[in-house]
Amino acid sequence: MHVKGNVVYIPLLILGFLFLSPFLIMISGSIVSMIMPVGNPFGWVLNESLTLSNFTYILTNSEFLRWIFNSVVITFIPVFSQMFFAAVLGYIFAKKQFPFREGIFWLMMAVIMLPSQLLIIPRYIMFSELGWINTYYPLIVPEIWGILGVFFVRQYMMTLPADLEEAARMDGAGDFTIFFKVMLPLAKPVIATVGTFAFIANWNDLLTPLIFTTSQEMYPVTVGLASLLTKEGNFGVEMAGSVISFIPTFLIFLFFQRYFVKGIALTGMK
Amino acid sequence: MEARSIQSGKQAIPEISRKDRLKRHWQKYALIYIFLVPILIHFAIFQLFPIAFSLYITFMKWPVIGTPEFIALDNWKAFFSDELAWKAVWNTVLFSLYYIVPTMALGLILALLINTEKKGTGFFKAVFFLPVVTSFVIISGIWAWLFRGTEEGMINRVLSVFGAEPQLFLSNSSQALIVLAGLSIFKVCGSTMIYYYAGLKSIPHEFYEAAKIDGANGWHMFWRVTFPLLLPIHFYVAVITTIGSFQIFDSAYLLTQGGPNHSTTTLVYYLYREGFTNLRLGYASVLAYILFFIIFAISIIQRKYFGKEVSYK
Repeated sequence: MHVKGNVVYIPLLILGFLFLSPFLIMISGSIVSMIMPVGNPFGWVLNESLTLSNFTYILTNSEFLRWIFNSVVITFIPVFSQMFFAAVLGYIFAKKQFPFREGIFWLMMAVIMLPSQLLIIPRYIMFSELGWINTYYPLIVPEIWGILGVFFVRQYMMTLPADLEEAARMDGAGDFTIFFKVMLPLAKPVIATVGTFAFIANWNDLLTPLIFTTSQEMYPVTVGLASLLTKEGNFGVEMAGSVISFIPTFLIFLFFQRYFVKGIALTGMK
Repeated sequence: MEARSIQSGKQAIPEISRKDRLKRHWQKYALIYIFLVPILIHFAIFQLFPIAFSLYITFMKWPVIGTPEFIALDNWKAFFSDELAWKAVWNTVLFSLYYIVPTMALGLILALLINTEKKGTGFFKAVFFLPVVTSFVIISGIWAWLFRGTEEGMINRVLSVFGAEPQLFLSNSSQALIVLAGLSIFKVCGSTMIYYYAGLKSIPHEFYEAAKIDGANGWHMFWRVTFPLLLPIHFYVAVITTIGSFQIFDSAYLLTQGGPNHSTTTLVYYLYREGFTNLRLGYASVLAYILFFIIFAISIIQRKYFGKEVSYK
């Protein structure tokens, strides 16, 4: 649909400003030296003295670096293993013939339709029995693969022509060679989508680590920041923490935005 | 000797072929044995078993410390006489009423703006999508500051420009849930925008051409052509935003802790509180099932009444 003229820029600029302003408030709040800043947030940067003391404070007076480290551990292990399993299981469900293939796949798909909150309590009891509470295990082990990623890759690989595989088989390639040399390179964009989804889901998760971590040094950054927030602390320090924890998200978003948008659209196009 | 060697020779042939068959079987199914079988075991342990186990837990008095005790349907009975649980269900319904339609409407408006494909719309698309990837914790921190219930609060200062009295927002039991809904609308409408944007792209151009020949203006074109043709997208977006709204937890935990006066105690927040603050795991499991039943019922109703398959081609 093409609209004549530039009228469309008026709502775009107004909405764009409204959507960006919380982020601008976060950044300016983190670099001004006011405990509870008031007034026009866009004036602070001009009128107040700028400082990095909020950043040095949060990095030295809390376990913030440890929280970041924990978040990295519980995010990146699932991200890479989910990408790998999405690729290989996507290939298996799209191209391999074996008994109960469709039954297994749709059973797995049916289970994610259930609200994830249903799993919290039984898992809490299971993990208590295993002695996993306040370790990384409950935050990593259940997350090593996800059916949604498998679904993405499967949908994509089903569109690839069979000739591709047959040609490789003629050349004497086995399943492993076909998967790693032919299918995996072709599916890279879809696998990147799976990775970005897994990153956002795990990096931003609050409820799961809130339940399974019980001591400060095991908190990921979400739970750590939440503990600062609910304590009614210093706004500048909170915002400094928010800025730091936002940087990885922002970088991933910057570099993988198109995969992300593609993935969102994919889920709608079943 | 000769006879024996012939005999063993006879036996050797099927043995080789069995080995061969095994080898071929392995070549054919190696990927499945190495990757799918372990994942199936993982699926059984971390998904199927917990689901079955959660039903069992609802029949137990299951304290975090101490031995569980079978109490049959007592947890279920407790739910029906628990006023706070019903309030939590009601709050969740109220939240979804505040949240669903604005999220859909704003997402559609953003998609229409982006779909003009003017220079720079790609940048705005990224801006509108940014809150989707940002954690609730970050946005809640900013929201708490924006909606401070004092005269210095940012939103109160904006309101005062229009001559309105300062509001309490998060400390007012009739406003807190609306402020939380506002946060979710801001956070989620970027993904609604993407669904609608994909939907707008899938409408064939001829429809607009035909409408133009009939003399339709932009306004009519939207209500007569675009809006009805987006029906499958409306349906899909309605389903996912409804399901999402019933699972709201983060902002209620971060900003209001379920208060004031339980006005933001949503179903999942109540589940969390009963399970992990009051340590009633059996009862919390019942609440998880209530959540499941509600979401299931909504999906069925929406599918029945709005899920008409539509094809344009």
